[in-house]
Amino acid sequence: MECVFGMVCDGFVLVAADTSAVNSILVHKSDEDKIMVLDSHKLLGASGESGDRVQFTEYIQKNVSLYQFRNGIPLTTAATANFTRGELATALRKNPYSVNLLLAGYDKETGPSLYYIDYIASCHKVEKGAFGYGAYFSLSMMDRHYRSGMSLEEATDLAEKCIVEIRSRLVVAPPNFVIKIVDKDGARVHKWVDSIKDEGAAAVAAALAAA
Amino acid sequence: MKLDSGLENSSSIFLGGCSGLEADFSAPPLFDLPITNDFDGWQKKSVQMVKPARGTTTLAFIFKEGVMVAADSRASMGGYISSQSVKKIIEINPYMLGTMAGGAADCQFWHRNLGVKCRLHELANKRRISVTGASKLLANILYSYRGMGLSVGTMIAGWDEKGPGLYYVDSEGGRLKGTRFSVGSGSPYAYGVLDNGYKYDMSIPEAAELARRAIYHATFRDAASGGVASVYYVGPDGWKKMSGDDVGELHYSYYPVVPSVVEQEMTEVPVA
Amino acid sequence: MAHKQQRFDPYDMNGGTCVAIAGADYCVIAADTRMSTGYSILTRDYSKLCKLADKCIMASGGFQADVKALQKALSAKHLIYQHQHGKQVSCPAMGQLLSNTLYYKRFFPYYAFNVLGGLDNEGKGCVYTYDAVGSYERVGYSAQGSGSTLIMPVLDNQLKSPSPLLLPAVDAVTPLLEAEAIDLVKDVFASATERDIYTGDRLEIMVVNAAGTRTEYVELRKD
Repeated sequence: MECVFGMVCDGFVLVAADTSAVNSILVHKSDEDKIMVLDSHKLLGASGESGDRVQFTEYIQKNVSLYQFRNGIPLTTAATANFTRGELATALRKNPYSVNLLLAGYDKETGPSLYYIDYIASCHKVEKGAFGYGAYFSLSMMDRHYRSGMSLEEATDLAEKCIVEIRSRLVVAPPNFVIKIVDKDGARVHKWVDSIKDEGAAAVAAALAAA
Repeated sequence: MKLDSGLENSSSIFLGGCSGLEADFSAPPLFDLPITNDFDGWQKKSVQMVKPARGTTTLAFIFKEGVMVAADSRASMGGYISSQSVKKIIEINPYMLGTMAGGAADCQFWHRNLGVKCRLHELANKRRISVTGASKLLANILYSYRGMGLSVGTMIAGWDEKGPGLYYVDSEGGRLKGTRFSVGSGSPYAYGVLDNGYKYDMSIPEAAELARRAIYHATFRDAASGGVASVYYVGPDGWKKMSGDDVGELHYSYYPVVPSVVEQEMTEVPVA
Repeated sequence: MAHKQQRFDPYDMNGGTCVAIAGADYCVIAADTRMSTGYSILTRDYSKLCKLADKCIMASGGFQADVKALQKALSAKHLIYQHQHGKQVSCPAMGQLLSNTLYYKRFFPYYAFNVLGGLDNEGKGCVYTYDAVGSYERVGYSAQGSGSTLIMPVLDNQLKSPSPLLLPAVDAVTPLLEAEAIDLVKDVFASATERDIYTGDRLEIMVVNAAGTRTEYVELRKD
């Protein structure tokens, strides 16, 4: 089942998510990246129906970049969060998107920030947040071990602790996770935490890189 | 239930009169909707009437030489086998294949529609559409009809400028890029054989045999799959059909009948 | 108070069975002429066959009001085609047109179960078989409608040809002569009439070959 969580640390935000694409009892894919790099300094971790998740996050990404093209300056993380919330609220009374989001960003003025936005269009600025069945485990882990101003090592360690707990206690735990961070230098992949690897996918990626 | 998802802009202005023959083929097709307050009721009824034939096994995987695509050929409506000769691998163009699982008409129609769109892209841009592009085209159409009862589970496989490509697309709007997929009621069985025998470094005959074997084992366990196991290969020069075998006969070639010793003959019980 | 509202239901099932068999140079299309609703027989003399083009005949079971609407839509499209191109629609083209026509009503379907029979561009017999929303397939023979589940296994037994999906391909022409095919059709309808309440009264058979089309009738049980 889906697990997305994130936390604000010392000068950066960390977001982690499982990478399983599931259809009833089948795992179609275990390297599906559910954390979108929204723009140079924003991450959008999403969980929900696969169609809605991709369509909605792409829609937000395209609109954020349209704003940047038109105005020459990027939207702040707070503005993006409010825009996203607004789109979800509008859709809610027509045809709702079933997506839950964690929006992480780094702004020059305000530093790192994290927003929790759910499919019924509530929006909160948080220090730490989580979605899905993994939230039951990762939230308490973060409540216990999180403190403001954690270093990258400490944060990574905590994220991995959460992943271990999910893997050992959740019935239908996803095998693989990705951890991404965003800081003053931008948004990027920090680490893949894999417990199974797909030989085919790795070989295809290698073949493509070689070509 | 709303009727406005994606249908708003296809007003009757596009098609002149009732003939539809002079229709612009690139325009979105026009669908009649029932005049009713209870659209969901209609939905149920129409789905009921065409009993989506989810009973299927299809698979596709990328390997060293390209993409291998395979499927069975059975269509069932409930317990009745309505056809044993369905072409579930649809030839979109010489470099791209689509597979069919779910509602037969939904798959057939939208793949035909995708074929038209791909050809139009080719004429407009003087180059073939990428597998990524084609699958996104299909995913966007299906997403615009979400919640209206379409039932499609398909894989788009092909060869484009970047090499082999494979996507899974379904009627919930899902679209996944990947290297190994199986769709349909027989897919868990097929995955079992496929995952176990898969290597990236396979020759074409090896890969074709793996695909055929996976379909065979799925048809053996899944009653809703059967008929003919078709295997296609897509390489740099386009697709080619590798094999088509009646799984009934395939069974005996994989497992020839061995005459077994009769342990005990039935004897007539003497009447007292 | 939970109270189920009576909804207007514009569908009915009038029954009827259709069969088509394609041969090397002919096509036999047949349907019974009974039309019923529930346990009532509405008429014993209703033709379910519709000649859409010179070498293209559609047989339809299901809801006859929808069938009539479908026949009129296709006939109108064929008329426009004739005016535009000055020729008859080929059977494979009509096959796809029927598929699209059915699918365009995907969300409000024609409750019609069709078989289309005729000669293709090379003069060979062809049969197309459909579901209610337009999935179609070219086959050597097919049965649709209320008695199809009784007839199809018999046709499989008598005519089963190698699957067109086989590789290497095996020639899949129905091995029967025209007269033998007609006799088979008569037999399967006589059998279906014994066990299907919606099939009976009279059998209408149309035969398409290079010489044109001809129709013959056979009486079936009327009980």
